Amino acid sequence: MAGLTRTAGAFAVTPHKISVCVLLQIYAPSAQMSLPFPFSSVSQHNRLGLYLLSLTKACDGMYEMKLEELINQLREVGDDVDAWLTENLTNRFSYLSSPDDLLNFFTDMRGILGSLDSGAVQDDQIVLDPNSILGMFVRRCILAFNLLSFEGVCHLFSSIEAYCREAHSSFAQYDASNSNLESLTQYNQMDKTTKLHKNASGNVPFHLHTPEALFKVTEGLLVTRTEKSSTRKFAEATSVASASSSKVEDTRVDESLFLRTNLQIQGFLMEKADAIETHGSSFSSSSIERFLEQLQNLAPELHRVHFLRYLNKLHSDDYFAALDNLLRYFDYSAGTEGFDLVPPSTGCSMHGRYEIGLLCLGMMHFRFGHPNLALEVLTEAVRVSQQLSNDTCLAYTLAAMSNLLSEMGIASTTSVLGASYSSVTSTASSLSVQQRVYILLKESLRRADTLKLKRLVASNHLAMAKFELMNVQRPLLSFGPKASMRHKTCPISVCKEIRLGAHLISDFSSESSKMTIDGSLSSVWLKDLQKPWSQPVYSRESSYRNNSTFFKFFVHLVSIPGSVSQIIGASYLLRATSWELYGSAPMARMNTLVYATLFGDSSSSSDAELAYLKLIQHLALHKGYKDAFAALTIAEEKFLTVSKSKIMLLKLQLVHEHALHRSNFVKSTSGNLKLAQRMCNELGGLASTTMGVDMELKVEASLREARTLLAAKQYSQAANTAHSLFCTCHKFNLQIEKASVLLLLAEIHKKSGNAVMGLPYALASISFCQSFNLDLLKASATLTLAELWLGLGSNHSKRALGLLHGAFPMILGHGGLELRARAYIFEANCYLSDPSFSVSTDSDTVLDSLRQASDELQALEYHELSAEALYLMAMVYDKLGWLEEREEAAALFKKHITALENPQDVEPNIA
Amino acid sequence: MVSKESCRNEIRAAIRQLSDRCLYSAAKWAGEQLVGIEQDPSNFTPSNTRFQRGSSSIRRRFSTISTPQPSAGFSQPPATPLPQEEDEVIDGDLYLLAKSYFDCREYRRASHVLRDQMSNKSLFLRCYALYLAGEKRKEEEMIELEGPLGKSDAINRELVSLERELSALKRTGAIDSFGLYLYGVVLKEKGNESLARASLVESVNSYPWNWSAWSELQSLCTSIEILNSLNLNSHWMKEFFLGSAYQELRMHGESLAKYEYLQGIFSFSNYIQAQTAKAQYSLREFDQVEIMFEDLLRNDPYRVEDMDLYSNVLYAKEACAALSFLAHKVFLTDKYRPESCCIVGNYYSLKGQHEKAVMYFRRALKLNKKYLSAWTLMGHEYVEMKNTSAAVDAYRRAVDVNPCDYRAWYGLGQAYEMMGMPFYALHYFRKSIFFLPNDSRLWIAMAKCYQSEQLHMLEEAIKCYKRAVNCGDTEGIALNQLAKLHQKLGRNEEAAFYFEKDLERMDAEGLEGPNMFEALVFLATHLKTNKKFDEAEVYCTRLLDYSGPEKEKAKSLLRGIRMAQTDFPSMDMEHFPL
Repeated sequence: MAGLTRTAGAFAVTPHKISVCVLLQIYAPSAQMSLPFPFSSVSQHNRLGLYLLSLTKACDGMYEMKLEELINQLREVGDDVDAWLTENLTNRFSYLSSPDDLLNFFTDMRGILGSLDSGAVQDDQIVLDPNSILGMFVRRCILAFNLLSFEGVCHLFSSIEAYCREAHSSFAQYDASNSNLESLTQYNQMDKTTKLHKNASGNVPFHLHTPEALFKVTEGLLVTRTEKSSTRKFAEATSVASASSSKVEDTRVDESLFLRTNLQIQGFLMEKADAIETHGSSFSSSSIERFLEQLQNLAPELHRVHFLRYLNKLHSDDYFAALDNLLRYFDYSAGTEGFDLVPPSTGCSMHGRYEIGLLCLGMMHFRFGHPNLALEVLTEAVRVSQQLSNDTCLAYTLAAMSNLLSEMGIASTTSVLGASYSSVTSTASSLSVQQRVYILLKESLRRADTLKLKRLVASNHLAMAKFELMNVQRPLLSFGPKASMRHKTCPISVCKEIRLGAHLISDFSSESSKMTIDGSLSSVWLKDLQKPWSQPVYSRESSYRNNSTFFKFFVHLVSIPGSVSQIIGASYLLRATSWELYGSAPMARMNTLVYATLFGDSSSSSDAELAYLKLIQHLALHKGYKDAFAALTIAEEKFLTVSKSKIMLLKLQLVHEHALHRSNFVKSTSGNLKLAQRMCNELGGLASTTMGVDMELKVEASLREARTLLAAKQYSQAANTAHSLFCTCHKFNLQIEKASVLLLLAEIHKKSGNAVMGLPYALASISFCQSFNLDLLKASATLTLAELWLGLGSNHSKRALGLLHGAFPMILGHGGLELRARAYIFEANCYLSDPSFSVSTDSDTVLDSLRQASDELQALEYHELSAEALYLMAMVYDKLGWLEEREEAAALFKKHITALENPQDVEPNIA
Repeated sequence: MVSKESCRNEIRAAIRQLSDRCLYSAAKWAGEQLVGIEQDPSNFTPSNTRFQRGSSSIRRRFSTISTPQPSAGFSQPPATPLPQEEDEVIDGDLYLLAKSYFDCREYRRASHVLRDQMSNKSLFLRCYALYLAGEKRKEEEMIELEGPLGKSDAINRELVSLERELSALKRTGAIDSFGLYLYGVVLKEKGNESLARASLVESVNSYPWNWSAWSELQSLCTSIEILNSLNLNSHWMKEFFLGSAYQELRMHGESLAKYEYLQGIFSFSNYIQAQTAKAQYSLREFDQVEIMFEDLLRNDPYRVEDMDLYSNVLYAKEACAALSFLAHKVFLTDKYRPESCCIVGNYYSLKGQHEKAVMYFRRALKLNKKYLSAWTLMGHEYVEMKNTSAAVDAYRRAVDVNPCDYRAWYGLGQAYEMMGMPFYALHYFRKSIFFLPNDSRLWIAMAKCYQSEQLHMLEEAIKCYKRAVNCGDTEGIALNQLAKLHQKLGRNEEAAFYFEKDLERMDAEGLEGPNMFEALVFLATHLKTNKKFDEAEVYCTRLLDYSGPEKEKAKSLLRGIRMAQTDFPSMDMEHFPL
């Protein structure tokens, strides 16, 4: 009824196993001689033995080799005896002409086993110890055969026929290379396969029956990880396979024989699930879908397939199919099949684990951007898991809920959360969203701690770190310079939480390996087995090869499971983010680089994308647009297929910045401004229209809109936009964004020449920055403040200079090109406007700054600022009477001005 | 109007041709229709009564149906000429042998005998025998190869070669309508639905009397769009087809119209009667359905088809004795039919022996894995046994067999609601309502979900109840609930409106009960506070007719009204007692 529990897998006799048995017979004939006939040396004999050992291990895998693959491998194993081996093998099969021969074959097999009391064996006799691995294999085969009913024997017999015929036909075609199209492709591929052993199974069009097609699909998928180019090939191959199933004659081999035990399939599916997550939609989801469909046809009681389909659909953003499959999975299995994370707790077995279904559904709604639905469903999940006292699920649900609340902009929760919700947080109704998030996180952390759910603990710590990063513990009520000291975020606790999160790496091992080992182990075996075969090293030192297999096997046991490395990777990303906010560019960059190098491959594609995004942003800020755009094209190739791509967003941002910098402040209708406006609109268009979803994106879009308006000198409109943005930020509690909006408002007032109006905004921004330890932003706010002071009149130049010098270390150490250039120019401006400063005596101070500024602006193509710097320079030279330099500066100035007025190539990078 | 005589002649010839090709179920169906045609006494000659033995005269005596006057009638279709049996002589002997093998269910032998015969007829029989041999082997393999993860993918191994042969024949045009039918079946099995549809359409257009072809075609018409896109010649068989297709697409009115129309000719057809009963059952006209089935059983006492439906009706009417009688009778006729097992399951369910009921439903499912109603009924049983996860599983299987089965969707919703997951359940209720938007019960179930204390989404509940009222709520829950909800939300005007409506309904149906008192008390107090004393008094006096606390309440209300009516001075008197 409710799914199948983990029954011991049946060990079925298959044609491949019979091949192995034949080889075993050759390896250990019952005859009495020290070295059996075809072998010329003991090492040759041993090599076959080792090969057989690995073959028997691989028999527990998900898929079995075809005869021709086996023959190919034999060619490599037994150099000079390979012909003999192959011939013997095929001959043996050709003797099997009736079910009775099979019976005799297995009776003979008994002969190669030694007796259990192995004392009576003579030295020169080769017998298999019945308790050795090979002996056990033979015994299992014999037992399995003896258990077969006559119908079973008949089925085995007909599948042997197909097994041989297939090999024959492909070999015949290989040799004769018939001129029809099918065999032509076959031939080509065969050609490749002899060289590239891994692709030995690339000759798809011939293996018409389903499991082979399955095999092809998965093989293809494995290959796609490394080389995209083959995607087309396998897609085509599967289409051939499915289409050609209509051409199948009665050569169909029983699929059921190829479907291994439950455990192996579970493990296999788990791997697939990981793959879906890691690669996002860079897999073609339809090919996975097709594969899953076939699998489901073969094993309709394997409900986990539905879950995989759900995952697949989730990653390809197909809401309805995802929902359908999720519900179907839980309807069928009651959540009891799979989800090994949850130890089978006592009480709830009768009711199934529908609360997990609710949790999944909630997370799905979250992903598709339905926050209210998600909240309802998660609330129900909390209630049901409380009812069924499933604490594990409760802990996960609470974590999911806090994640939801912190990610989604929810203005007021009271309207959304029903009365039942308060059972979790008894006094919840009066709390703000942040407080709720905090309580939920604490609750979840406590439960996870007591239940020893290490991964959840780790990710909760990370969530906590994020929370500490973004929120001041107490509500922000006043922003006076005195009060602000007490209301601060605490970088130390952020750091502490991140470290706690990363602790996972030291103590995951006991728990996690237990989880994946039984299922995916055998498929790992098979895969590892295939790897060394492709290495030419093998031909000489067989012992070395085998060692390496074992070593890899071992590595797989202790290597970090994907989910753990993902969390640790996330901790590095979070570190990068926090350094970014705190204003340390090098630290942020370093952490991102660590992430990209260590975890880039194993993590989910969206995280990897985020890392690339951060690096490119860093490039744009510190190295200029040219490098950034170059890097962007690389990233675009890599993440082209990821759904909800952040790369698109990044591109829009970069183009927007670039356009703003090149725009003409005099002519507000210039092409660059229009481009910038367009980018803004596109950015806004990326966000979902649902209230509270994609808040970050929406804030970003309107911030950029305000800046565009500012650049177009439409001050009042810009101020209006910024004001409404501030209101939005306030409504949705986006504190950090508030600081930058305030700074923007100050800028707007500065540009509009209303310095007095700007001052309070700048001060407010600074105090926000102090509260949240946003040092870099604070430095740039200080710069703006100084500019505002100077704008009040030249008698304030001393004060402005003082402020600037206070912020200089931060700006020069961590600021981007633009900020630094602005600071330099402003410094020069300050000196020049100071009446007590004399150019003739102290020209170097000014000139140095200006030179620095114009150098840095070069990379940025920020014509307006460059022009300003050069103008000042020319003026100083003029004062000093250095005519040559003056002319040079003036010429450059003119160049920038013309560039500003005639924007030629508006945008090379936008399609 | 097609004359009965021509119909009769067509069917007679068709039966001979069909059974000659071993298409027995089609022949059986045609035979039923043949005797369903009202006998024209003048033509009643011994020679052509072969298929009308006995029953029709008896039938007429007991028939409760007054022979309907055939209405304006069919447009005369371009008469499809009956194909002449051209090659009977040529391969006669071998064909006769093959047919007798076939009749003994030795399919491979039959096809072997015909291996070199080239005539259309023997070609068809050879392919058909092969197909059936493959099917038989498939069923055996399904059991032999059942793996640990459920069924293995046993397929009919003859399909490929059959498809190749038939498609080659079709290309050369050397295929008759029976071959086309088989080709369609093969294509359908292979999952090539559109081609299968085309082939079947071609088949029925050239030879419309093969009911098997029609029913295959009908199973491929999963939506009204597909049905309308078919290019079918008009023929009276098409009307049968449309009737059954409409029924499958839940267009019961249209279906009934078709059958009524057909009854003009086939006035005594059991088939039509059963189909009409089915449609009526879907419209929940249980009394009528019961009468029809009783009648049907009287005429055809050993009928098992459709009897599960009858048992459902008896179940709904809680007629234990009748149900046990039916079960007994059917079991004696053929106990290994899914229908019979289902009937027994229903009987046990009615008796409250749910474990036994589940056992019989399981047996029915063993006989036919795709037997939809058994899955659903088994789900109901599990719900009764409070084994919700098993119920969910059973319902889900029903839904996967036929995604349009609103009962199973409803059951899923119910099961999840029982588990205290109303929000999750809503999705399923929505699904079920999507397929049957006019059923008040579904709307009420959904409303209850919204109303549950966990969700407490009263506005949505009100919306659902309103829909239920619009659908003609038969159980009278919706009005009462609407009134109460409005009362709870403090909207007294609306509450009064709905209480009044509810009162009207109860009056019309002659019901009494706590709902009645509640409505009366509310209306009286509400009207009193709104100073509509006369109307309030009417309700109060109605309350006085009953005993109990309501009577006292009414009395005190009346007193209050009197006081208010006799003006304020009296109030003053009370305030300032002398």
